Amino acid sequence: MQKRKNRMSHAFWMLIFPSGLLFFVFFIIPLILNIILSFTNYDGWKTMNFIGLSNYQEALTDSRFYSALLKTFIYAIVNLPFKVIIPLLLAVLLTSDKVKFKTFSRTAIYIPVLLSSLVVGITINWMFSQEYGLINFLIQQLGGQPVAWGRQPALATFIISLASTWASTGFYMIIYIGAINNISHDVYEAAEIDGVSAWQRLLKITIPLLMPTTFLVTLLSTVNLLKEYALIQGVTQGGPGTSTTFVIQYIFDKGFNQSLYGYAAAMSVVIMIIFAVIAFIQFKVNEGGEFTK
Amino acid sequence: MSMKKIASLLGVAAVLVGLSACGNSNKKTSSDAKESKTLTVLLSEEPSKTNALNNAFKKWAKETGNKLKTVVIPYDDQLTKFPLMLKNKDVPDIVATTRLMMLYPDEFTDLSKKMDTSIFDEKALKVINQDYTDTKVLGAPNQYTLSCYFYNKDAFKKAGITAPTVDNPWTLDELYANAERLKRDGDVKYGLAVDFSRARYDNLMYSNGGSMVKKDGKTFDVTINSNKNVKTLQKFISLNKSGVMPEVIWTGGSSDNPADYFKNGDVGIYLSGTWNYEPLNTDVSKFDFGVMPSPKGSEQQSVISGGSSLAIPKSAKNSKLAVQFLKWLYKDKNLKEYLTNDKGISFVKDVSYVDKDPDVAADYKILQSELDHVTDQFLVDEQSQWRNYLDNEYRDYLKQAVSGEMSAKGALDAFAQDLSKKSDWAVK
Repeated sequence: MQKRKNRMSHAFWMLIFPSGLLFFVFFIIPLILNIILSFTNYDGWKTMNFIGLSNYQEALTDSRFYSALLKTFIYAIVNLPFKVIIPLLLAVLLTSDKVKFKTFSRTAIYIPVLLSSLVVGITINWMFSQEYGLINFLIQQLGGQPVAWGRQPALATFIISLASTWASTGFYMIIYIGAINNISHDVYEAAEIDGVSAWQRLLKITIPLLMPTTFLVTLLSTVNLLKEYALIQGVTQGGPGTSTTFVIQYIFDKGFNQSLYGYAAAMSVVIMIIFAVIAFIQFKVNEGGEFTK
Repeated sequence: MSMKKIASLLGVAAVLVGLSACGNSNKKTSSDAKESKTLTVLLSEEPSKTNALNNAFKKWAKETGNKLKTVVIPYDDQLTKFPLMLKNKDVPDIVATTRLMMLYPDEFTDLSKKMDTSIFDEKALKVINQDYTDTKVLGAPNQYTLSCYFYNKDAFKKAGITAPTVDNPWTLDELYANAERLKRDGDVKYGLAVDFSRARYDNLMYSNGGSMVKKDGKTFDVTINSNKNVKTLQKFISLNKSGVMPEVIWTGGSSDNPADYFKNGDVGIYLSGTWNYEPLNTDVSKFDFGVMPSPKGSEQQSVISGGSSLAIPKSAKNSKLAVQFLKWLYKDKNLKEYLTNDKGISFVKDVSYVDKDPDVAADYKILQSELDHVTDQFLVDEQSQWRNYLDNEYRDYLKQAVSGEMSAKGALDAFAQDLSKKSDWAVK
């Protein structure tokens, strides 16, 4: 019995070692280095003096940092429902027996996931460019006035939201499709015998049984929305003004454009703590996605 | 001797012959390497077929039998990537840059000890290298650029506007009024477009006598938030708001490029720079365009000069080869060919470029005369090297003012405070 236990333990460590090593090299070491940098005035080249908590003091009194953080939260909260609901509805639709061209539709919806954020940005720019964009061209052809996508903060944020949802829907849809296919047909058959309508089946069976998946999608979407960077860089570069300058972009700008690596590292640590707290709250509220047991 | 032994002896002999052949081939390769070396060049953008500098590199490589390796890093990214290259001891042999003073000047070779740098125009040398204090020459100029105003001749004709001349330039008020008229009568969407660059905007500031800093003995005072500068920015914002200028360029939020607007015939007057002359000359076919002298503000006309230079990092592996290229480039014949291909303003004493096309030659006459309008305020600002403290932040504040997030005064006050904090210069 003891021998069997030891063998299991060895197998456990053998299996976990490759991912553990990668996690250590690409996450733990950079994290430690980042924390060390956050206590210095490192400029990316020659200057690196220990300056204690100065970077943290500056970050916590930086109104622009708070402004970027607030905008990030608003962006994440507003977009989260779309990130979860649209893939769920598409997955339900594309697993229905009544729908045709399912494979084609799934592929078409998934293709944007394969594109890099910058390619998505270029595509979106081509569509929404103020002067020469496709959408404004069509609007003008129909006799309308071109829309000031790049001048209005709300419209610029809308474009980023649209692009972000478009680029990620396919990924979450596939996760939902896998989960829906795993729901036992017996449950649906029993419901049918009881005379349950399609709408009730969705609300009373499918959605509750998908709760662990919904938790996963919600968590991944929240983290990705809070970290949104490359897409914004490709579409609005943080404008108009600073209306789409979210917190990661602000940190990147401080670090890589202004060579304030120490300060950027301190802000990263603060952000990491905030994001971790948000993820922890989500885990607690959703009981880690296990509450359907 | 058994067959086995004979076979093994033959095998050994074959291996020895093979090894000696390899040895010979290695020797040949190393001697070849001595004759043909590879010059690694850092450029700021992917060179087009007509890129004069890249073609000069190619011609030199062909003439001397050397090879070229090109690395492309945009100017902004050079600031972060070049230190990494230095750290990794993997630097290019020649760096073409507009930001020499921001790329750790200590790391570059003093070219005055390697070649005759007295051939260069002294003013051009200082402006291009942004170095007003040192006697070292860290970069050899390869492009001398000026901000300049392009105009759409067809739109001017339609609106009944006569272009200003060197002897009779417009005032800034006339520029703004004519921009409105162009929008109204010139069949263009916008009267005036300005590159999304503080170096273009600053011309308006210098024209009205404003400046970033003022010299105060051995130090400087920050003056960017002076009343004059606030008024200049307010006017700039109002032109954007009224639609005379394409507001989206200066609010950010789009990657639209005013050069594209001008090329498409949507802009009457375009404030950009001489480096855009050749691309416009190639790309604009729908209308005729020309260059006009800078307008006079409340105090003076203003152009901002700058340029690009070729610098050799001290730790470059093939620095001798890099020096060899520079000496080749500045030979009279090669330089004239380079300037002709680049259609650039000359940075070498007694050498100038005259185009065969009379229209182009006339434009260059105007540009050459604009060299006189590099203002004292600009030169003082350059001497202060304020951009070593803050750079893009200034443009970002201007962007916030145009987008309406901040008032003109609020944006300039905030930047003045930031610059003062970084530089220890007083705000006055």
